[in-house]
This record gives sequence, C-alpha cells and structure tokens, in this order.
Amino acid sequence: MNNLRLLLCLLLLASIAFAQNAVPLRPNSGVIVFRGAKVYPISGAPIEHGVVVVNGGKIAAVGAEGKVEVPRGAKVIDVTGKVVMPGIVDTHSHIGIGPAPSVPANADINEMTGPLEPQVRAMDAIYPADPRIRMATAGGITTANIMPGSGNVIGGQTAYVKLRGSTIEEMLIPGALGGLKMANGENPKNYGRRNQAPMTRMEEAALARKEYIKAQEYKRKWDDYNKKVAANDKDAKPPERDLELEPLVEVLDGKRIVQHHTHRADDIMTVLRLADEFHFRVVIHHATEAYKVADELAKRHVPATITIIDAPGGKLEAINVDLRDAAILDKSGVKIAFNTDDDINSSRFILREAALAVREGLSEETALKALTINAAEMLDLQQRVGTLEPGKDADLVVLSGSPFSVYTKVLETWIEGQKVYDHSLPEDAHYYSGGYNFGAQYPNLPNTPATTGGAQ
Amino acid sequence: MKSLRLLLILAALGSCAFAQKYAIVADKLYTEAGNHKAGTPGVVLIDNGKITSVSTGAAPAGYTAIHAAVVTPGLIDPKTTVGISGAYNIPADQDQDESTDPNTADVRAFDSFNPNEKLLSFVNTYAVTTVQTAPGIINPIAGQAAIFKTVGPLSPGMTAEQLSLRPVSAMVFNLGESPKQNYGKDHKAPGTRMGTAALIRKALLDAQAYDRKWGDWNKSEKKDPSKQPARDTKQEALAAVVRGEVPAIFNAYRQDDIDTAIRLAREFKLKFILSSVTEGYMMADVIKSSGAPALVGPTLQRIESMETDNASIEDAAILANTGIPVGIMTGFEGYVPKNRVLLFEAAIAAANGLGPDRALRSVTIDAAKILGIADRVGSLEAGKDADLALFDGDPFEYTSHVVAVFVNGKETYKRE
Repeated sequence: MNNLRLLLCLLLLASIAFAQNAVPLRPNSGVIVFRGAKVYPISGAPIEHGVVVVNGGKIAAVGAEGKVEVPRGAKVIDVTGKVVMPGIVDTHSHIGIGPAPSVPANADINEMTGPLEPQVRAMDAIYPADPRIRMATAGGITTANIMPGSGNVIGGQTAYVKLRGSTIEEMLIPGALGGLKMANGENPKNYGRRNQAPMTRMEEAALARKEYIKAQEYKRKWDDYNKKVAANDKDAKPPERDLELEPLVEVLDGKRIVQHHTHRADDIMTVLRLADEFHFRVVIHHATEAYKVADELAKRHVPATITIIDAPGGKLEAINVDLRDAAILDKSGVKIAFNTDDDINSSRFILREAALAVREGLSEETALKALTINAAEMLDLQQRVGTLEPGKDADLVVLSGSPFSVYTKVLETWIEGQKVYDHSLPEDAHYYSGGYNFGAQYPNLPNTPATTGGAQ
Repeated sequence: MKSLRLLLILAALGSCAFAQKYAIVADKLYTEAGNHKAGTPGVVLIDNGKITSVSTGAAPAGYTAIHAAVVTPGLIDPKTTVGISGAYNIPADQDQDESTDPNTADVRAFDSFNPNEKLLSFVNTYAVTTVQTAPGIINPIAGQAAIFKTVGPLSPGMTAEQLSLRPVSAMVFNLGESPKQNYGKDHKAPGTRMGTAALIRKALLDAQAYDRKWGDWNKSEKKDPSKQPARDTKQEALAAVVRGEVPAIFNAYRQDDIDTAIRLAREFKLKFILSSVTEGYMMADVIKSSGAPALVGPTLQRIESMETDNASIEDAAILANTGIPVGIMTGFEGYVPKNRVLLFEAAIAAANGLGPDRALRSVTIDAAKILGIADRVGSLEAGKDADLALFDGDPFEYTSHVVAVFVNGKETYKRE
C-alpha cells in the first residue's frame, strides 16, 4: 500500500515535471549519423552531400559522402535534400528571465533599485520551463547569452546556456563564467525621472568609471594577498569579499566579457573610451549606429552583435536603424553577430535577421558565421560550439532549405546529440507557430502538455 | 528672352513629369483581377495617374518603359497608426490615443495625420501605397479612421486632403486589456471588460436615440428652429455607425473579447470588421457565421501580454481556410520596432499556411474589398489608380527587394 502511494507520488511528480515543459537533459552516448544534407560546417566550405557523425554528444566526423566512415550500428538519419548547420548562438536574449506572458509577475529582467547591479546574476532568475526557451529551439538556437536588461548602467552577470535542462544548473555551460551586462544611452537615464542618478549620459559614464576604479583598488588588494600567499607569508589576511566588485575584477582580468547595450554612435564611442581606460574586453550590442563609427570598432578589434529591427524608431536611439549596418561593419573589418534581444525579436526568427542583413548586402558566408562561430567567439565559447568540427559539441540544426528563405523551416534542433526540437511533432511545432497554450485549452486541437502560462 | 525660353522648357518638362505615361513591363505580373494570368509576363500602361490597360507584349511607343521581375498592385495596410503615431515615440509625435475620455467617437485620425511623418515614407519604400490609419488601442470608443495614399522619398510635399481616399472610413472600438488597464489604474471606468462593453452599449443606445431625434426633426413638416435638437459630435459620429453608414472596427485579441465584439455588433446590427483577432483561430466558425471580415496581425505580433499569449503565425491561414475574408494589417506598435513592415508580415503568413497567392490578396484586393475601396485600388485594372509595386524577385522572399513604387501614376520610391 505504501509502495502504491509512493508510486502515485512519483507519477504525480513526474507529471508535474512534464507539465513544467522544459526539455529534460538526457545524456546521449549513442552514435548518430546525419547523411545526405548540404552541410555548412562553417569551419570550411559547404559540403553538398555531407555526412555528420555524432558520438556521445560530440561531433566525431564531418565530410563528404564516401569520405567519412559511418560507424557500424550507428543510428543513421537520412537528411537528403536538407541543410545542416551548427546550432545557432544567440548573443543577447531574455528568454527564461522574462518568461511569457510578459506580466509584472514574470518580470525579472531589470533590478531597477539602483543603476549599478554587478552582483545580480541572471542565473538566479531564469525559469527553465519558460515556453520562450522551447520557442528558441524552434528557431534553431542551441546556445544563448541570457542577460539582465538595459535599465542599469551595470545590469548584472549574464548566463551562457544551452537550451535544454530542467534546472539552470543543467542549462549552464560548464566552465563558462558568463558576461557582464552594461548599458548606456537612453534606458539607464530613466532613473532621472525619479530624480535619481543617472539623469544624463555624462553620469552614466561617471558611474561606470567610479565603479571600475573601485574594482581596480579591490583587485590590487587581492593581488597583494595572493602574492603573499604564493610567497608563503603566513600572516597574509584575505581582504573582505565584495560581491559587487568580484565580477568587475573578472572583467579587469579578461575572464568576463562586457556585453554592452549601446545604440547611438556617440554612445558606442563612450563604451570604447571606457574600454580604452580600463582595458576591458567588450562586445557592442544592438550597434544601431555602429556603421557610423565602423573604423573605430575595427581598429580596436571590438565586435558588434546586431539586433535587426524592421522599422526605425520606437525610441530615439533606434531612429537610425538601417538594414545595411551589418554589411557596412563587415566591409570595415568588424566582426559581427546577430541577436534576438528576445522578446524584441522572436527567437523563432533569428535566421530571418541574418536574411534581412543579406537582403541589404551582407554575404551569405558572413551571415552564417555571424549566427554561429562569430557569436560563439563573442561569448568565449568558440572551443565548444559555432562550427561542425570533430570534438565540438554536437549542436546542430536541420533546415528544410536555404537558411535565408522565408519558406525554410527548422526541422530539427539538436544539442549535444539530443534532439530538442522536432518540427514533425505537433507538440513541438506549436512552439514554432505560437499558440503553444492552445492544446491545453482546446482538446480538439493537437493535444499538448499544459504550460504554466495560463491559470496562475 | 533666353531665360523665358528656358522657363518654358522647364515648365514643359515639369508637366511632362506630371503627366508621364509609363509602361510597366513585368516578367511576372500579378494584377489580382481576372484580366491576366497571374505570374505571367504582362504590361501595365499608366496615363495621368490611372491604369489605362493591362496586356501582354511589348511596351508601346510614347511610354516610358520600366521593367521589373515581379509587379503587383501597391500594398494596402488595412489598419495601422502610421501617420499619427510617429517614429520618435515621444509625446511630441504620438497622436493616436486621446486617452482623456473612454469615448472619443468625435476624434478623427484625419486631424492628426502628418504626411511628413518619417514612417509614412518608410512604409512606401516597402510597397505600401494605401493605409487605413486608425486611432489607437486605449479608448473603448477610440474615434474615426481614415484612408490615405502614402508618400515616398520621391514624392513632393502633400497635405492630408491631397492624400485622402476616405476621410472617415471606420469607427474604432477597443476591447480587452488596454482600455481597462489605462482607465482602471486611475479608478475610472472602464475598470473591467464588463465596464468596457457596458460603456460601448450605452454610447450606441444613446446614438440610436440621437439618430431618432434628428430623424423626427428632419421628417417634421414645420421645422421649428426652437425644437431643433442640439448637435453632439460624438453621437453624430456614432449615429452614422448605428445607421450602418460607417463600419465599426472592433479590435480584440482574446477569444472572449472577439466574442464580445460579435455580441455588440449583433445587438446594434452594425456593419463591422474584426481587427487583431489573435485568438481568432480558436473560434473560426463563430467568426465565419458572424459575417465579419478579419484584419489579422501583425503576424510577428509579440507575445507581450496575457491577451497575446496565444498568438499564432497560422492565424490568418486558419481564418482564411474557414472562408473568412482576411486582410493582414500592421496595427499598432508601442516600442521597437515602432511599426511593422506589412510586406514582412504578409511574408510570414505566406510561408505559414496562407500561401503566397492568398497572402498577396490579403494585402491588396481582399484588403480593398474589406475597406470598401476596391473601386479605386487593390488590383491592376483599367480605370483604377496607378498604384504599383515592382520587385526583383518573389515579393515575400527575405532577400528580394522592392525596386520601385508608384502611387497615382507617380514614382514615389526607386531603389538605388
């Protein structure tokens, strides 16, 4: 009887876990072979009839049909006529941290209680069952930089994640520290409405400088202490830990990249001015007017990740939105990526962003790099993801056709050898079409697991 | 003397430019009328702002020939706030929501319409030649929409009067979250969906009574000035709606709000159109039997509230499959992007169940029919306005381009 009760409890727990609706983490040790597709390894030229061998969640081999050994007993997936590319890396997303639907109860993006929040961590607010995460896999995204918002000068620590797992621990990429979110321009100025600093762009920069100077001093104390420890000084006393300054020291040490929201050309220059002063590594996010200062970015080797916006405006700093931005930056020698800034753009359509950049002059080759390896480099993840090369994570996307056609569908998304999205399954496909909640409400439509979007 | 001659030549050139005769030669012509096999080569002749013929063969002499891979009618955005809700999104350029009173039936989009608004020219570069510009999403009775032609980068300065196709085209009613959230937070009515519906019913009842009063007075033989009813601009505007002269547009997202729209329209026997219709796919049969057409969109609508939680990119397709007349609209955006690109919204619908042919119709002839302007625009036929869009490939492909746009026979945009 007790056993039965236990079983029921377990079943109940299992059903709750199911209803939570994240993609569970399933270790994958088998050998899987994708055969027949046009393969874009990104690390090399496209392969017309390609073979991709996956073993234990890693890429084992990539090459043309006949040139790659297909291991005995491998599970062969025929993808003839399809396209295979690396899983897409979204350099700037708010999935999980701003779950659907966007109601105040779900808003955990901006800690608007002070403009300097380096101590807050995105990982402490990410909801793995957010349907937006599944929707991102429907767009071919496998890796994302989930960030705090741009309401603060220093918004907090970002999380580099794979889009699977029922807990943030399962989602986080092992060994990846994450970035530091910073912002300037219009958004942090909102404090001015409350008569609080910053009210102007001047103060935004001043606050950032003050904080980094504090971090420099803090770093000196720790460096001194570590030197003493190394010299076996038994009297060495560790400085008191400061959670606010620790991530900034990681930035100063080059271990953590500043992921900086900035639109207007002069704001971009302010970021570069700070980076020059404090020698931090930085990626320019949104980069709306970056085309105006492309040479300044190029000479400093500062990359830019662009949020492709359909129309100008909505805010003053986005008034000069131009689809030619990507092509101009690329021609000037600036490394580019794309990002969704989900929910500014839907993660389901990140390929569309690259396609619209191609529409206005970007080469398809750079566009594909921007979606994959360039993005991985901006997160220091190029050793793990971004290309289809032996030894890298088996993160890949199967497309029905050209990556740049509106008619192309993401058919399958794989993370480390595990299929996380299958367009042929109605319960997955609704994460693409939207209306993901309807199955629960309307049993005459394809039945789907309940999400938490409705009743609570 | 010389300068006079020069002046005359310039004047002649100027009038030439005005009365230019164009032959638009297409590899694939889509007229959206029964006069030409869709997607085959064709020539559209334009004279004095109108289409004079659609045929096959070469461009005749005396016409400026312009060639394009694909030619379609200029696109019609059947509901947008372009022209009254500016790109800067600062109080200075936001004129779409008169949110000082939940009933602003008397306000006219026409009186906010700014022909020099950046976004108006912007949408023209993406093939939009006609817009129904409607008041925003906050007031239960938001005011009167109007239909305009667009201006492009090559257009001369124009006034709203010059661009006007219908100065009053519809009365906009808003249901769902926005009205109750905007007024409820200040403890004013409406604070609930019930309140919104009650407010609309009361206003329409009052309008019926007002209409009767004026009808009686107009019918009275002895028009005694002392008994003449006082004019009320709100009730006057709503009287035209209850008489069926001006269609009602009910903007609703959630299923029950769409249902409320149908309930109200039935009670007052309104001629009505549904807009947004986010959860319409859940109740297509109900919408079908109501007889109302649906302005769906935007397809890439953000899931940003409870009422858009169930947005589906297949909405337009499911409604169209049920036999509901469907137009795709850009509606209203409050942030970034400030406006959707109609062509892109139709493209996503095209690729997700609607198909390119129906998607094109939904932003040309079907939109024109829903708005009652198919006599002027929406298809390429002799006698109609010469509003055309020229493309270098499939209009809906991400990587195709709009190469030129014509409004009233004049080139408003040309891709460099």
